Amino acid sequence: MKRKGFLLVFMIVLALTGILTGCSGNKSNSGNSAANNVTANTPEQNTAEQNTTGQNSAEKLSGKVTFLTNRTDMIGKEYDDYVKRFNEKYPDIQIEFEASQTDYNQQIKVRMASGELPDLMFIPDIPNSDLPKYFASLDDLGLSADITFKDFKAYDGKLYGITTGNSTSGIVYNKKAFADAGITEIPKTWDSFLEACEKLKQNGVIPLSSNFKDKWPLGSWVYDMPRVIENNRDFPNTRLNMDAPFTMDNGYGKAMSLIRALNEKGYLEKDINSTNWEQSKKDVANGKMGMYFLGNWVINQVIGVGADTENIGFFPLPFDNSGNLRAAFNPDFFYAVNKNSKNLEATKAFLKWMLEDSGYEDFAGFLSPLEGRESKLAQLAEFQATGVELQEGMPDDLQVIEISNKAQIDLPAIAQEFVLAKDPQTVLDKWNKAWAKAKQDLGY
Amino acid sequence: MFGTLSYKKQKSVIIFSFLLVPVALLLLFTYYPAAKLVWFSFTDWDGYSPEKPWVGFDNYREVFSNPDIFGVFTHNFAYFVMGIIQNIVAIYFAVLLNGKLRGRYAFRLLLFLPYIMNGVAVAFMFGYVFDTTQGSLNLLMQSLGLAKLGETSWLGTPGLVNYSLASTGLWRFMGYNMVIYIAALQAIPRDIYEAATIDGANAWQSFWRITLPNMKPVIQLNLFLTVTGALEVFDLPFVLTKGGPAGASQTYVQRVVETAFAFNHYGLASAMSIVLLFFVIIVVGLQQFVLSRGGKGK
Repeated sequence: MKRKGFLLVFMIVLALTGILTGCSGNKSNSGNSAANNVTANTPEQNTAEQNTTGQNSAEKLSGKVTFLTNRTDMIGKEYDDYVKRFNEKYPDIQIEFEASQTDYNQQIKVRMASGELPDLMFIPDIPNSDLPKYFASLDDLGLSADITFKDFKAYDGKLYGITTGNSTSGIVYNKKAFADAGITEIPKTWDSFLEACEKLKQNGVIPLSSNFKDKWPLGSWVYDMPRVIENNRDFPNTRLNMDAPFTMDNGYGKAMSLIRALNEKGYLEKDINSTNWEQSKKDVANGKMGMYFLGNWVINQVIGVGADTENIGFFPLPFDNSGNLRAAFNPDFFYAVNKNSKNLEATKAFLKWMLEDSGYEDFAGFLSPLEGRESKLAQLAEFQATGVELQEGMPDDLQVIEISNKAQIDLPAIAQEFVLAKDPQTVLDKWNKAWAKAKQDLGY
Repeated sequence: MFGTLSYKKQKSVIIFSFLLVPVALLLLFTYYPAAKLVWFSFTDWDGYSPEKPWVGFDNYREVFSNPDIFGVFTHNFAYFVMGIIQNIVAIYFAVLLNGKLRGRYAFRLLLFLPYIMNGVAVAFMFGYVFDTTQGSLNLLMQSLGLAKLGETSWLGTPGLVNYSLASTGLWRFMGYNMVIYIAALQAIPRDIYEAATIDGANAWQSFWRITLPNMKPVIQLNLFLTVTGALEVFDLPFVLTKGGPAGASQTYVQRVVETAFAFNHYGLASAMSIVLLFFVIIVVGLQQFVLSRGGKGK
């Protein structure tokens, strides 16, 4: 009896494994056949596209386009309006918005692994060499202007991703708090910046809201500042040839020393390990806190919690006393189109419309993804009026990413350690060691 | 159709057909992913690409050769200490609320309620309690005249942060342990106490000689839950401190998650999870061994 029972259990397990393997086998099969169908279809669609000229094909394009978006707040509001305006041009294309979970990057990766990507999405952090595996080439979009960051998400000379909007980082400040503290002129050197901080502090205002605890708000200090200080747009990638990329006298050490100095002088929150992001937006809006050093996207968020548009200003952070102003120019998320999409042309039409006509970049507070378009936002205009030089970033080198990941290097976390440490040099030494080891292990 | 089968056969057919669904679900959602995890731990998978290059024991070698990875276990010690305190407090309240106290059901409910709350919500809530400048805890201290103590950075002091976080766990899980202890207390036959009282035992003696020995298996269970809980803490530091300040409150599971999702080393992260699994088995095994030696009569 006992032996029989064991046999039965064994049989059940066997049967189940059979079902399971059957499952996964089927899945990949169906995925492949779908892919085949699409590739079989696209040439026809392409020829159709080529035969008919612009406007005619616009009316003929039809189908459903799914767009997985991280802007869940826009679903049912601005997006509805977009669809309405889009459908005036392409009445037969149906747009469906999918709300992402909080971790967009991870969600897309899971769907990549399972072969269930939406038609239009943003590119997660995968190496550029993997782009052709999942996404369609976007060289044939036919945009009216050049795009920015052309070589960022390209591989083998083909374009796979277009930025949704671009941003720069700088000091977002409360104008009234500045005026009340007696600051009449926007600081153009590091020393005058410190003076401004001192005046704010004397006036009972927290000069700069770092949101140190949350770690991600330190991104501008470690991703933008080093290459801006070095005046080398490819500086992060030059680390590939270094065994000790973090030194006191290069971009990383200098940038992190800036925020360390602010903390030592008491120009950041009273306890930087206990900060509250949501509250800080309100505090900057009502002048209890003076400044942020973040991307320009934060401007709209501060206005969103109740600040007057005229009361919020934006200027580049003067990182030294030379008087030369430079700031980093960065792409946001990149749009990409699923190469196995059933409605490839319709998806591309929607993408083109989003880039050229939607006005999304103004709503989101970005600079346009298209070259040479001026922002409608007052703060960005003010920023550019300082004569700042915008330094376009470079795509991260694959091998540099590999070394960073292998060494588990998380720059904002290093900045946290750097600021909190008694001797910041030990922090740099520690991570240099990790870097050198990872580099050696990988053989670069 | 079943009538022709013997009673024994009918019985086993029924048992197996009833078991089929739950066992299938269990295999599908627990053992299949677990088997996959073991497999991943031998690969260098990055989390999304179709290729999963086999690397043998490299990941395990990395786990054991990198002192950083095991170092974070010292942070879990605070949770363990708080877990022990939590159990002592739980026994105290269980004994108290098992007696003839007026309104004992209301008190039980009050103490149990935090357990029902969602972990992330609790973490958020305590974010406001522990805030240095505006937190309710520091404001309370200040209004009591403890100005110096009222400026403590509860989540920003490296030695203190783990205990602050663990005390949140105490608040949340104490009621749960207490309910289990109350159930155990009610299962102890009253006549033992009566006999002891007749023999002249006082309250403390009957607690020490009757209540505690009778609750031993349940205490073991709760300690098991405490130890595994302490090793697997994740949500509290993840929401409240993100492992800060400068990694002082990072826990092992948090590190696993970071390795997998931030640094794209699924293989290494899987190996770390498997190591944790064995770690839990070893610690619990040791605990069982020590505790069962204490009770000679068992």
